[in-house]
Amino acid sequence: MNHLSPLFALLFQEVSHGRAATALEGVKHPDLSKFLVIAAILFVIGVAGVLTRRNIIVIFMSIELILNAANLNFIAFSRYLQDSGGGNPLAGQVFTVFIIVVAAAEAAIGLGIVIALYRNRETIWIDEIDLMKW
Amino acid sequence: MTLSGWESVFFWIFSIAAILAGLLTVMARNAVHSALFLISSLVSVAALFILLGAEFIAGVQILVYVGGVMVLFLFVIMLVNVGAEEEGRSAIFNRPPQVTAAMVFLGLLALVLVLYVIPEGAKTLKNPEKQQQAAIAREAREQNLQTGATGVSRITKETERVGISLYTYASLPFEIASLLLLVAIIGSVMLARTLKQEIAADDVDPEVTEHDDPKMSVSAPSE
Repeated sequence: MNHLSPLFALLFQEVSHGRAATALEGVKHPDLSKFLVIAAILFVIGVAGVLTRRNIIVIFMSIELILNAANLNFIAFSRYLQDSGGGNPLAGQVFTVFIIVVAAAEAAIGLGIVIALYRNRETIWIDEIDLMKW
Repeated sequence: MTLSGWESVFFWIFSIAAILAGLLTVMARNAVHSALFLISSLVSVAALFILLGAEFIAGVQILVYVGGVMVLFLFVIMLVNVGAEEEGRSAIFNRPPQVTAAMVFLGLLALVLVLYVIPEGAKTLKNPEKQQQAAIAREAREQNLQTGATGVSRITKETERVGISLYTYASLPFEIASLLLLVAIIGSVMLARTLKQEIAADDVDPEVTEHDDPKMSVSAPSE
């Protein structure tokens, strides 16, 4: 039994200073990587919505979710640069303003197209909108 | 960059709320429910922006997204009034190619996150001195700010700095964005109007309307 004690010591060290402790510390003090993980999850939810839904309006809403995940990344990196110093730390926030502008323009045009489509084809299910499909 | 204390509690609350609301946006059967869940997701992300010190962006998010874009979405949902959604949750997720593509994407992202991003984050957590220095510097910067009228909180200079950055560092993109919005206004007006309105505006060739279906039988204005 005596020859196993270094192994126990190693294991104990691994538990107290290792991955579990680091994970707990990460939960208590969320840093940049946690924000990136949240943004990635939101992004994937949006992509799944775009790929699986039939209602074109819900697809637009999923695109908004994707853009919002990108915004979260930009803001998180902006804060990171403010703390670590380097580059223009506010560039991320300025870029986010432009993303919101483009999203608003995209929503206006896209919903105008939906209205025109509904007037002419009486449908908003994307598998029935197949005029250009061959 | 780390959050601590109540900030981290609110971080977890709002990020879980954002993810749950996002999932329900994609999974709701009714498009109106989707829109309402998307609103709550956007509000939660705005709260995360406030946690990150971007108060101006959080305000813009609430005003433009929730107040403008989502109201537009709800208008269009009610205008096209398609009623009940697909046959249910099984029909949404019973599409193997699409779900597989989404899962592959999720796998790739998870790979990058697990292999690179989280270890990098753990590395920064392991040297607390640098974090403490950053926190102290932040605290000192906040101490220099003017207090508000109530004397409890401090008035942040964040919005001012974003504005200066927007008009100097990004002035050309700012002008281009205004042009983009103009194009969007004109485009959506053009797209959404009916044939009747086009004829009333007198910018359509009268011959186009002559051999149309009876549904649109509006006599063209004679020259």
